[in-house]
Amino acid sequence: MEEEQTVRELGHDEFDPNGTLALITVYFLILLVMWVFMYFVEFLGNELTVVG
Amino acid sequence: MGSALETGTPSFVDRFPQEASVVKAALTSSFIALFLGAVFGIIQGLHRTEVFRFLDSQFYYTVLTAHGVLMVVSFTIFFLVGIFTWAVVRSLDRPVEDIRYTWAWYGLMVVGTLMAVVAILGGFVPSTELSADVLYTFYAPLQAHPLFYGGLAIFIIGTWLAGADWFRSWYAWKQEHPDERIPLQTFMVLTTMLMWYIATIGIAIAVVGFLLPWSLGLIESVNPLLTRTLFWFWGHPVVYFWLMPAYLLWYTVLPSISGGRLFSDPLARVVFVLFLLLSTPVGIHHQYVDPGIAEGFKLIAMTNTMFLLLPSLLTAFTVVASMEHGARQRGGSGLFGWLRALPWRNPAFTGMALAGLMFAAGGFSGMINAGMNINYLVHNTLWVPGHFHLTVGTAVALTFMAATYWLWPQLTNKPLFSRPIALSQTVVWFVGMALMSNAMHVMGLFGVPRRTAEPQYEGFEFVASFGSITELRMQLALGATLLFISTVLFVVNIALSTGSPTQPGLGQPLPKPLSPAADSPEVLDNLKLWFGIAMVLVVLAYALPLTSIVGDSGIIDRGVSAAPVMIDLLTGLNPVAAVTDTGSRLGVAIWEGML
Amino acid sequence: MNIHSYEKIWLVVAILLIVGFISTVTYGATAVGIDMVDDEGGTVNASALDEDPRFSEPRVEQVGDNEYEAYVVAQQYIFKPDPITVPANSTVTFFVTSPDVIHGFEIVGTNANTMVIPGQVAKITVNFNEPGEYGVVCHEYCGSGHHTMEGSVVVQPEDEFSHGGDE
Repeated sequence: MEEEQTVRELGHDEFDPNGTLALITVYFLILLVMWVFMYFVEFLGNELTVVG
Repeated sequence: MGSALETGTPSFVDRFPQEASVVKAALTSSFIALFLGAVFGIIQGLHRTEVFRFLDSQFYYTVLTAHGVLMVVSFTIFFLVGIFTWAVVRSLDRPVEDIRYTWAWYGLMVVGTLMAVVAILGGFVPSTELSADVLYTFYAPLQAHPLFYGGLAIFIIGTWLAGADWFRSWYAWKQEHPDERIPLQTFMVLTTMLMWYIATIGIAIAVVGFLLPWSLGLIESVNPLLTRTLFWFWGHPVVYFWLMPAYLLWYTVLPSISGGRLFSDPLARVVFVLFLLLSTPVGIHHQYVDPGIAEGFKLIAMTNTMFLLLPSLLTAFTVVASMEHGARQRGGSGLFGWLRALPWRNPAFTGMALAGLMFAAGGFSGMINAGMNINYLVHNTLWVPGHFHLTVGTAVALTFMAATYWLWPQLTNKPLFSRPIALSQTVVWFVGMALMSNAMHVMGLFGVPRRTAEPQYEGFEFVASFGSITELRMQLALGATLLFISTVLFVVNIALSTGSPTQPGLGQPLPKPLSPAADSPEVLDNLKLWFGIAMVLVVLAYALPLTSIVGDSGIIDRGVSAAPVMIDLLTGLNPVAAVTDTGSRLGVAIWEGML
Repeated sequence: MNIHSYEKIWLVVAILLIVGFISTVTYGATAVGIDMVDDEGGTVNASALDEDPRFSEPRVEQVGDNEYEAYVVAQQYIFKPDPITVPANSTVTFFVTSPDVIHGFEIVGTNANTMVIPGQVAKITVNFNEPGEYGVVCHEYCGSGHHTMEGSVVVQPEDEFSHGGDE
């Protein structure tokens, strides 16, 4: 049922997750931008903030 | 390594036929709950958006209670006990200690579920006193029939006994393997159950100590803030009870179906220990805008919650790295190009990958929910269901469905009825959820409330700063429809698989991780230590808030009267009549159209 | 413990992100001065609201220069007073409670949002600027008529505002 085709085997010392690092960096940047937008624009920019 | 096409690889049902029966039973219960829950879900999605209403709006809350309980109590937890039984038996490579005990706790869970579901469905029959229109959170002073609270209590006790079953297996295995590290899957099961034992303290006290006796008339009143706080003591860690089985699948199965190996066993253990420690002392983040709870307690809950992001962020790395390993072993190359080398035609893979992707988005809306003061913007708006349909609704549910495509053949020795249908099912789910959840998040930001049958008000209009409310409602309804179709595709595919002829060689062994358990300090396996620290953290987070609530407004509040939820006989249509009435009108319209 | 260097980098970045989130929230709480709803409103006898000078007559009352208090009762399925009338350019502290079940009180499209729990008084202070009208919605399920529960806040130009508002 599977189509695993192992072309080569990668052991622990032969593998550096470069792609993962790149993807997770993109994700981090998205989180940063979205957080700043949500907090400072959507939230603080909204009316009737509770101050007491 | 890990190739499943070796003829004659024994499957789980070959090696452990009795255990396979229990696992199948648990999963079957889970899918029945999923299907019923989905029927109620589509009714809601069409009703609140004004697309199609055939029930009087007061019955919406009966539908909503059923949807919530069936989805996040029955569907998720029956699946958990099935997958955990499989994982423990498989990783310890031994049958359960006493199969009758196993069937007994499963039976208790079924009894408890039936009791609660009957109580809820009683809400559709106004002539009885049986009803539980209190929603999944059952906040007092709204009061359900005692059958509801009793059913939930029995269900939870069933899960406690299940945990004991797996601990027994582990103790027995330990006698024969005294110096070995706990196999990873069993480690994950045990840490999850330790978290559950701590988490259920709150709900057990709320239900057995207060709400059940109150619904039986044995105590005259309850303190609604106290019972609500005890609910959320459990209400946050329960989401990890849903997530941790999904994480177990992502860590131990997904690497293999990606064609690779788990990037790091030690980090997986660290992540599960972190969940044991931090899942419970955060519940007050569901009560950021509650009166009666001091701001300092909310601040503590906030910082604990923010740190609770860490195990999920670590999981993102480890799981993606494991997938990348698989992709590169399959010949993938390039910084991003390896993604194409992944087995996208395998529905088990695609389902889990899409679930993980959606979880990244759901994680973000969770970060917002954690942000204490920003909660003013989103509390109890439609944003909140937007968030949890991404997390439990996709990261967990879609992973469970994808895992079923992988596991079910190993429980039955029968291949899946249709791989193409399974693959499209996962994509339809993802698209449907993207549409529905996006609409929910955006409408929430415009102030549209959750848990409301008719969010269309007379005195004011919701103002959309982009797009329009009508478009967003259509989007929500469309998304909900796609999700319902996807659910049907899943359930029918599994059901039809029972008709396939049996075939050998469906076993799927799991390869060893790249970085093994031996690479991690043994203290990680010291469950007593972590359990002890977890208890201390919970006491620190909850002792003061609970004592101050009791001090301020009492262990019960005599000023608060019970509000039993009974449909008002005079103002609502009987829903059975409504359905037959609608049906006959449709029939007449079709007939006249044909003439 | 053998952790890949990339994952160590991510661990540090993740912790920095978490600290960043906590700092933002703290900034909101301190520099911007946002207070959470808490126990300052005190407790009340839910079955004796008619004996409480605030809630026996839900209303808006002036307590200082441009300072007002609004005593609001949320109950199945209305808000009292309706509308809640306040003057423009005022600071209003809402005291909200319920004689029956848990409700929500949200001024739609704004950050004024609190739970209303019988036996507890929710106290929130906000600043109103220009004249206008807002809807108020109950966003916590409170029974079969929950979806009909709405109210409003009317912000009147200062010269039009009459002391005490409507009942």
